[in-house]
Amino acid sequence: MVAVLGGNHYEVLGIDARATPEQVERAYRFCLEMYGDSSIAIYSLLDADEQRRARSRVQEAYEVLRDPFRRHDYDVSQGFVRATPPMPAPPRAAAGPVPLPAPPPPAPRPPAPQVLEGPVDGATLRRCREERGISLKEIAGRTKIGVRYLEYIEADRHELLPAPVYLRGFLQEYARATGLEPRRTADAYMSRLRRHPDPTR
Amino acid sequence: MMEALPAVVPVAAARPRRQVWSVGGGKGGIGKSLLTAALGFQLARLGRRVVLVDADLGGANLHTCLGLAGPALTLGDFICRRVERIEDVLVETGVSGLRLISGASDFLGAANIKYAQKVRVLNRIRSLEVDIILLDLGAGTSFNIIDFFLVSDVGILTVVPEPTSIENGYRFIKSALYRRLRAAAPSQAVRAIVDSALDQKNPLGIRTPLDLLAVVERADPAAVPLLRKEMGAFHPRFVINQVRDPADAAIGHQLVTACARHLGVKAAYAGYVPFDDTVWRCVRQRRLFASAVPDCPSAQKVRELARGLLQGESLALTW
Repeated sequence: MVAVLGGNHYEVLGIDARATPEQVERAYRFCLEMYGDSSIAIYSLLDADEQRRARSRVQEAYEVLRDPFRRHDYDVSQGFVRATPPMPAPPRAAAGPVPLPAPPPPAPRPPAPQVLEGPVDGATLRRCREERGISLKEIAGRTKIGVRYLEYIEADRHELLPAPVYLRGFLQEYARATGLEPRRTADAYMSRLRRHPDPTR
Repeated sequence: MMEALPAVVPVAAARPRRQVWSVGGGKGGIGKSLLTAALGFQLARLGRRVVLVDADLGGANLHTCLGLAGPALTLGDFICRRVERIEDVLVETGVSGLRLISGASDFLGAANIKYAQKVRVLNRIRSLEVDIILLDLGAGTSFNIIDFFLVSDVGILTVVPEPTSIENGYRFIKSALYRRLRAAAPSQAVRAIVDSALDQKNPLGIRTPLDLLAVVERADPAAVPLLRKEMGAFHPRFVINQVRDPADAAIGHQLVTACARHLGVKAAYAGYVPFDDTVWRCVRQRRLFASAVPDCPSAQKVRELARGLLQGESLALTW
């Protein structure tokens, strides 16, 4: 039997692979409506059985994409994202206290916090966040940091950001909520703020 | 006398100066003529020189929508060669920039004009010195209607949020697309496949253009890219008329999504017009709502629609 709705889970819901959880939710509701029993947009195109199959395909896609862990595994299996690389060993020559070892993984999932290679700017953070399908609103909800500041961080609006001592905390919270290694992420971002030397370092 | 052309042609000149737009929709009584009249009015208000053409040859009434009496000369007189020049059947509407070629209601055979006559009519209409030629197509999916739709630069498909209207809308899209594919078919075999697709109960099991492509793929794979190209260039624009609530308005997005997924047709959602008692009252008084009550919700939405269509914009589905 030919699939009524072909394609991967994202195509079934009609969204981008970088869609936020809210977007997944809205797309799902749109598809439910469209393939629903009372839909007038579809009834003359699909017969009752095809409509039912389309609905269950939508449901299947949604069940995976609504769950961050299942979605991550799916993304990896489809090659949308690379599997989270294991934490690299801290460099021996690093000054200061040796970074804490990674906390013992409580379960196979969630993936260990990622350490970003190279310079970290707002765009990098944003990309990481979007790859994981996390919205700024969610981070704001979890961290109690205003969306506006999170936007400033991502937009590199350094002049609008709070004093470095607060900013460091914001960055660590942001990183934690996004699945990034908090301290190193904050360090990497702060190191780019030339005009505002960080007195906490 | 021709004026010397400027050395550098401005970029804007690249846009085709004269465009044919058509307003179709498979079903009767869904407000095509009123929408066409209002759209023409708003386009004229936006500074375009517009000619409305009542191409609903069997049931012309665009003049009534504009509050005009049936004119002495109509398209029928031109088709029957009672007048030689298309300009002779062009009438003023009282709105600056908006003129009308009335339909051929006096000529009962007009709905079945021959292909050669159709080509002559279209060519002469195209030669008019205007910016936009706006055709009001009749109901149904006859070749006359579809051919006018297919030659248009902008093909507008009107539906109301009712199952019958939407069903006819899809039927209109399929009929138009099949006619276009048939004309482009590179071989007799492919043409025969398109012909059998016109019968919804065809033995090949073709129900949609996507099924058709699959069958052609087996019969004549080399023809597929050509047909795909034709399908890609077919770009109907939906307008939902008589919208009563946000769910009605959202149907436009569903139609576009359904066309892409289940018909392989790249449609767009040009806009919607709310259900509005003012429109009904104006019809009763034989006045065009868009000019009689310019601030009513319907008039405003048609103005938005006109602007969007001029700029090639459509309502996007954003999550």
